[in-house]
Amino acid sequence: MARWSMVIDLRKCIGCYSCVVTCKQDHFLPPGTFWNRLLTIEAGEYPQVTRQVYPVLCNHCKEAPCVKVCPSGASRKRVDGLVVIDADQCVGCTYCVIACPYQQRTIHENSMKEYFPGQGLTELEEIGKKLYPLEEGTTVKCNFCAERIDAGLSIGLSPGVDREATPGCVNNCPVKARHFGDLDDPVSNVSILIRRRSGFQLRPEFGTNPSVYYVS
Amino acid sequence: MQPHEWMLEDTPQTLWIEKKGMMIWLAEVFGALGGGLYLVGLFFNNFPGMFSGWIIVAGLKTVFHFAHLGRPFRFWRLIRRPGSSWLARGLVFVTLFIAFGAAQLALSYWLPGTPVEMIAKVIAGIAAFLVTTYAGLVMNCVRGIPLWNSGLLPLLFLSSGLLGGLALLLVLGLSGDHADSKMILSGFRWLLLINAFLITIYLLGVTYSGPVGERSVGKLTHGRAASVLWLGVLFFGIAIPLAISFSDYYGGGVSAIWLIVASACTLAGVFSFNYCLLKGANYGPLIQ
Repeated sequence: MARWSMVIDLRKCIGCYSCVVTCKQDHFLPPGTFWNRLLTIEAGEYPQVTRQVYPVLCNHCKEAPCVKVCPSGASRKRVDGLVVIDADQCVGCTYCVIACPYQQRTIHENSMKEYFPGQGLTELEEIGKKLYPLEEGTTVKCNFCAERIDAGLSIGLSPGVDREATPGCVNNCPVKARHFGDLDDPVSNVSILIRRRSGFQLRPEFGTNPSVYYVS
Repeated sequence: MQPHEWMLEDTPQTLWIEKKGMMIWLAEVFGALGGGLYLVGLFFNNFPGMFSGWIIVAGLKTVFHFAHLGRPFRFWRLIRRPGSSWLARGLVFVTLFIAFGAAQLALSYWLPGTPVEMIAKVIAGIAAFLVTTYAGLVMNCVRGIPLWNSGLLPLLFLSSGLLGGLALLLVLGLSGDHADSKMILSGFRWLLLINAFLITIYLLGVTYSGPVGERSVGKLTHGRAASVLWLGVLFFGIAIPLAISFSDYYGGGVSAIWLIVASACTLAGVFSFNYCLLKGANYGPLIQ
C-alpha cells in the first residue's frame, strides 16, 4: 500500500506564497485559517545574511499524536498514510489541536466570517460554503487534497505524476519546489530525492515520523 | 507575538486558557478540587465533604467541559477511544465517579455500613482518585509543550486536589468533631509542605528539560504569569496558609476566621497554579 509523502526543495522555494493562496482558494478557507504556511527565518550578520523560507503544512505523521489523543475517532490515519478528520465525528474538544507539536490544526469557529467585514460574503465565499462546507466547532487541517488523490486513483491516475491526482500546492508551485509521491516505493520521485539529497524531517525528536521531508 | 514570529519563536498555547479555553481551566480545577474533597471526605467519613465533592464534579466540572466543546451535543462520542485517549478515559472515570458516588452517598445515608455501600465506596474512591489525577495525564502526553511533558504533573494535580479538598473540609468541618479538625489541620500542614516541594521540583525539572522548558519557567517566574505564580501560588497559596497552620500548631489554636482565610488562600493557590500551567505553556520553534 502506498504511503503518500511530500518533499519540499528549500533551495528552490522562493517564498512566493503560491502554495498558501492555492490551498486557501481550493478549499475556500475562511480568514485566519491556513493549511499551508511559510516560515521565513533570517540567519547570520550583515553582510553575511541568509534568508530561508520553510513551507509548513500538516505532516501526516506516521505516529500521529493527534490520532492517538482523539477521543471520538474523528482523526484517523488512512492505510495510505493520510491523516484525515471526519467532521461528523468531531466533538470539538481541541485536544488534537493542542497535541500537534507542529501546530498545523485549527478549530473552525465561525462559518460566516467574511474576508471583507461588513460587506457580506463574496460570490466565491458563497460558492465555497456549498462546495466545501466546513463544520463549525470542528477541527480542520490539510488533508493532502485527499479528494483529488482518491478521484485520481479511481480513474487510474498516479498522484505526484498526474496533475489531476496531485495536491494543488504541488501543482501550482511555479518553481517546482514541491514533489509528491509514494514513500514506500523506493524508485518514486520522493524516495529518490530523499535518498540523494539527504531529506530531513522537522523536529524528528518528537517521534512523530512525519511524511513531509525537506531537502536543501 | 507578531504573525511572522509564529512557531519561529516560542509560541504560547492559547486554546486552553483564552476566551472559551477558560472553561478548560475551570473544568480542570473543579475536577481536582471535587475529586480531592471527595477523597478526604471519604478518609474522614465526612458526609458533607463527600457530597460537596460529588456536587463539584457532577455539577461544575461536567458543565464547564460541556461548555468548552465545539459540538457539545456529541459529547457521548468522547467515550469511544479509551484505549489511546486520556480524554476518553477521563470521561469514563467521571461517569463512574458520578454513578458510584451517587450510589455510595445514597447508601451511606439510607443503608450505612452494608457490604453494598462498602463496594460503592471503594469504586467511587478509586474513581475519585482517577478524576483528580487524569487531567495531569491529559496534559502530560503533549510532547510539544515541555512545561506539560513532565511525569510530576499527575502527582501535582493529585496533591493540589487533596490540598484543596482539605481546605474546603476545614471550612465544612468547623462545627464538627474537634479531633477531626486537628487531624485535618495536621494533614493540611503536611500537604502544604509536600505541595511546595513538588512545585519546586517540578519547575526545576522543566527548567533542566531543555531551552524551551527553561524559557517556559522563565515566563512563569518573571514574565506575563509571574504575578500569578508569586502572589497566587506561592504567597496566597502556600505561605499564608502555612503561617496560619503553624500558628495553630505552636500557638495552641487559631480562630475560625483564620481557618477560613487559610482555606480561601489555599483555594486561590490551586486556581492560580492551574492557571500558570495553562498560561505558561509554550510550543518550541519549528525551525532551529
